[in-house]
Amino acid sequence: MLVEDHIRKNKRDTVIICMFMVILLFAVIFSIGLVMGFPPFFATAIGLPVALLYIAVTYSFSVKSVIAAAKARPANPSRREEKLLIYKVEEMAIAAGLPTPRAYVQDSSDINAFATGKRPEEAIICVTTGALRKLNTEELEGVIGHEMSHIQNRDILVATVTVGIVGAIALLAEIALRALFWGGGGRGKKGGENIILLVVALIFIVLAPIFSRLTYLAISRKREYLADANGAYLTRNPEGLARALEKIKADLPDDPKGSKTVAPLYIANPFKRSLRDSIWATHPPIDERIKRLRSM
Amino acid sequence: MIPLLMGIILVVVVALIFLSYYNRIIRLENRIDNAWSQIDVQLRRRADLIPNLMETVKGYMKHERSVLENVTKARAAIMKAKTPQENIDADNMLTGALKSLFAVAENYPDLKANQNFLQLQDELTHTEDKISYARQHYNDTVLKFNNVVETFPGVIFARMMGKQEREMLKIPEESREVPKIAF
Repeated sequence: MLVEDHIRKNKRDTVIICMFMVILLFAVIFSIGLVMGFPPFFATAIGLPVALLYIAVTYSFSVKSVIAAAKARPANPSRREEKLLIYKVEEMAIAAGLPTPRAYVQDSSDINAFATGKRPEEAIICVTTGALRKLNTEELEGVIGHEMSHIQNRDILVATVTVGIVGAIALLAEIALRALFWGGGGRGKKGGENIILLVVALIFIVLAPIFSRLTYLAISRKREYLADANGAYLTRNPEGLARALEKIKADLPDDPKGSKTVAPLYIANPFKRSLRDSIWATHPPIDERIKRLRSM
Repeated sequence: MIPLLMGIILVVVVALIFLSYYNRIIRLENRIDNAWSQIDVQLRRRADLIPNLMETVKGYMKHERSVLENVTKARAAIMKAKTPQENIDADNMLTGALKSLFAVAENYPDLKANQNFLQLQDELTHTEDKISYARQHYNDTVLKFNNVVETFPGVIFARMMGKQEREMLKIPEESREVPKIAF
């Protein structure tokens, strides 16, 4: 398949994934209502608007909260390093045929970068000062190309929406289980006719957070590979990104300063355990990514 | 009754397919035009930077007349160019001329310490990179357009619309790779 086809498929998947996540969130709210003893109609009437409202709020505040969590600031063109970053972002935007994202800088000695923004028109690419200092032009270009691909593939939208929903499901399930434990179940203890349904709903509430998180992680890993490939297609230079990833790997900090909220958005997870391949990882193992880039 | 119904369905399906191809072809064509104007903007921008560069360099490089002349000549060629290919050829000339100018500049420590010169060098390198990426994007877009226009069933609709495949920009072999200047 051509990169072009991958991107088209990705856009379609994006809609499906977002819908799936919304349905999952709704199902959790519905199950909680059921276990608590509310009638199904009531659970629907409350659950659906709450779920949609929650997503709308997460969506509209996503960029601000990511930038705040990363303590990022706009790049300063009067400093040469940051001016060259702005230049590189402009160049990659031209290569991708996208509007130029705003360039941001995060003060941190780690080498890392992330992209955020709901739509390509208002996207932001943020790079750490460590990356600006330690990467050469070619490597920086590779990193920016990777981030530009996330924007082009609408990955940032999926990431923001799914991260929000995964968080909401975890929170709701936690509250519901505690309430059940302390409160001893809902008020509708009329009889045992619905006991199976209740047990199923209960099991669902327990499993939903794990399930939603795993779904999100699987998507995230797959999209990292695609962004690597597409980034290399933009720069026509897979080696640049491969070397940047090598530097990132060699440079992984012992005490990551990056915020955990932003971790899945970074080009490489700053938390060391992500070197291993696991279903809990936000990114594929760096070595595997480098290998794939080198084989292009 | 049933044949009529099937006929109507067939017509509707064909019309829908045509519509989607029509939109795709027009959209890609617009993207090609836009990609070209992107190149054009950067070429002008680069040409506009040259007089400034000349002004800065003149005082230092008195004995490098031919190097300076080549740059001026290449710039004039860009200003004169009409077709896309002429533009690109003139730009390649300018790239070569600038490369030798910056190489010669290495021998002039005073010039290399000049803030103005450094800034111009950064910006010229940046526009050069932008031009090569804009060219790449132009060719990518033309490739997409040609793929739609030349393959079945797009080829039928393209004929009906009177659209033909577009020409990609030819880039000389040695400059195919983006020149990398270490900072």
